[in-house]
Amino acid sequence: MLPGFKLTLGFTLFYLGLIVLIPLAAVFWKTTTLTWPQFWQTITMPTAMASYRLTFGASFLAALVNVIFGLIVAWVLVRYEFFGKKIVDALVDLPFALPTAVAGITLAALYSKTGWIGQLLEPLGIKAANTQLGIFIALTFIGLPFIVRTVQPILEDLDPELEEAASSLGANRWQVFWRVVLPMLTPALLTGFALAFARALGEYGSVIFIAGNIPMKTQITPVIIMGELDMFDYGKATAIAVVMLVVSFVLLLTINVLQWWTNRYNTNNLA
Amino acid sequence: MSVEVKNVTKKFGNFTALDNVSLKVESGELVALLGPSGSGKTTLLRTIAGLEFPDNTGEAQVLFYGEDVTQIPASERKAGFAFQHYALFRHMSVFENIAFGLRVRPKTTRPPENEIRARVEKLLKLIQLEPMAKRFPSQLSGGQRQRVALARALAVEPKVLLLDEPFGALDAKVRKELRRWLRQLHDEIHVTTLFVTHDQEEALEVSDRVAILRAGKIEQIGTPEEIYDRPASPFVYDFLGNVNLFSGRVKDGAMVIGGTEFATPDATGEKDSDAVAFVRPHDIRVTRQPLGPALPALVVRSNAAGPVANLQLKRQDSGEIFTVQLSKELFQELSPKPGEQVFVELKNVKIFSDDYSI
Repeated sequence: MLPGFKLTLGFTLFYLGLIVLIPLAAVFWKTTTLTWPQFWQTITMPTAMASYRLTFGASFLAALVNVIFGLIVAWVLVRYEFFGKKIVDALVDLPFALPTAVAGITLAALYSKTGWIGQLLEPLGIKAANTQLGIFIALTFIGLPFIVRTVQPILEDLDPELEEAASSLGANRWQVFWRVVLPMLTPALLTGFALAFARALGEYGSVIFIAGNIPMKTQITPVIIMGELDMFDYGKATAIAVVMLVVSFVLLLTINVLQWWTNRYNTNNLA
Repeated sequence: MSVEVKNVTKKFGNFTALDNVSLKVESGELVALLGPSGSGKTTLLRTIAGLEFPDNTGEAQVLFYGEDVTQIPASERKAGFAFQHYALFRHMSVFENIAFGLRVRPKTTRPPENEIRARVEKLLKLIQLEPMAKRFPSQLSGGQRQRVALARALAVEPKVLLLDEPFGALDAKVRKELRRWLRQLHDEIHVTTLFVTHDQEEALEVSDRVAILRAGKIEQIGTPEEIYDRPASPFVYDFLGNVNLFSGRVKDGAMVIGGTEFATPDATGEKDSDAVAFVRPHDIRVTRQPLGPALPALVVRSNAAGPVANLQLKRQDSGEIFTVQLSKELFQELSPKPGEQVFVELKNVKIFSDDYSI
């Protein structure tokens, strides 16, 4: 065994405990200030229920849309040479780098009735500001880099001989993509999806400005938690946080299992 | 009936990979494309497969049994291609890899599921990997992977089988086993086959004919014997094995090396000129006393490890070093020590002057 095992393992456990486990445990512990009926009533109140549906639904849809369009962006960046490719490549990271509040204000301004994009949508009868559509737009915006940056390296490493082999065996271009390229990218797409989804679930800054935060309609769960905190009701706030935490954990675990399953061919154990 | 390329030229930037190459492979033949790296052999193979297209459209032609396929893409050519690094589909089992070519066929020509199954199983038997059908490529050894790649290419019943350095990524022992197996396989199924290699031993052992490429041109094509015994150029001679060069002068019917005249019937009628004699290490006889026309030389080093003994000698007149191969018995009889004088006789002398063969 490599020397330093005990020291580094000790450090790892301490660090993870300090940074991750203790805060998470505190959420659960704080919740215990509520009684069971209080807890249940808090997490099932109509505004909270509506917010779960909105948060998880919009995050899921946004991540899904990003899987499709992020894959296309990654594909273009890897497979083609064009003028300004470096700039486009750098642009992808912008949603990462931008402070979420800046993104939120920008989106809200763009999509408001008088904004550049909002005024074009208005005659079509589409309203983005203060609607669930606006939330979906914001979550799509912040999620894009996760897909592109996880798929890009895998796509770059994909051996062109695989595609050549497939076409020499008679596969047309669509079959090459569908049967050879896509399956190889699936684990990376799932990872990107999980990251974008997780990020969208916790998103606050970029959403609140465009959402309008109308209870039952455009109020995301983090806003509800924030609202409870504003009233110094820590117990209620953490109760809803616990719901977010548990559901997110279960969803991410599911995605991880799925990812392991799609990647099972990379193992070397003789089955 | 043949697979044929005519006047193919292909450039990559400034680099000419193929320079007006023509080649004809008869039906059922096994032909090796042999050459150093950068000689264009892989590009030629890829052009036949439809993975590269000639630059000189209009002039260049690729013909499969008379049918012009020059402009037809790889997916419609029915040329089985096996890559050096196998290019197996990692996410599919061995079975599904082999079945791939059948499954992607349009509905009208796709065989029914039970027929696909039967065909794949037959191929698995042919490559002796029946128990591995359910494994993924990552669970196979290199030699097994290459056999799967071969079966996958054969599954579509290709008009021609193209193998790009099929044993290049394998270790020496597996390499030898697999190339014998390839020859056996070819004798069984007789599919027209071209394979690329840079290993002369492999090319000479396995193929019916060998085409030697150099800088985008075919230098010589012929049976292994023809190529080995009657090389058309110093390049071919040198490429096909160890060789010693003796510079001297050629004149009518003889070659003069270091004052000694060796009779060379090939050179009958030649004018007096400078020339280089090519002699294989095993075509040199070493003796203590000159028995006929012989060249004096000094022993530099000897090495008797392995099935034959190697002797390094130095010409006494010019100081040029050359190697001699001799049997263990002769070596023990001679028991040469470094610094001792010996005499060498040259057999099967091949003379080239200014890069052309006499």
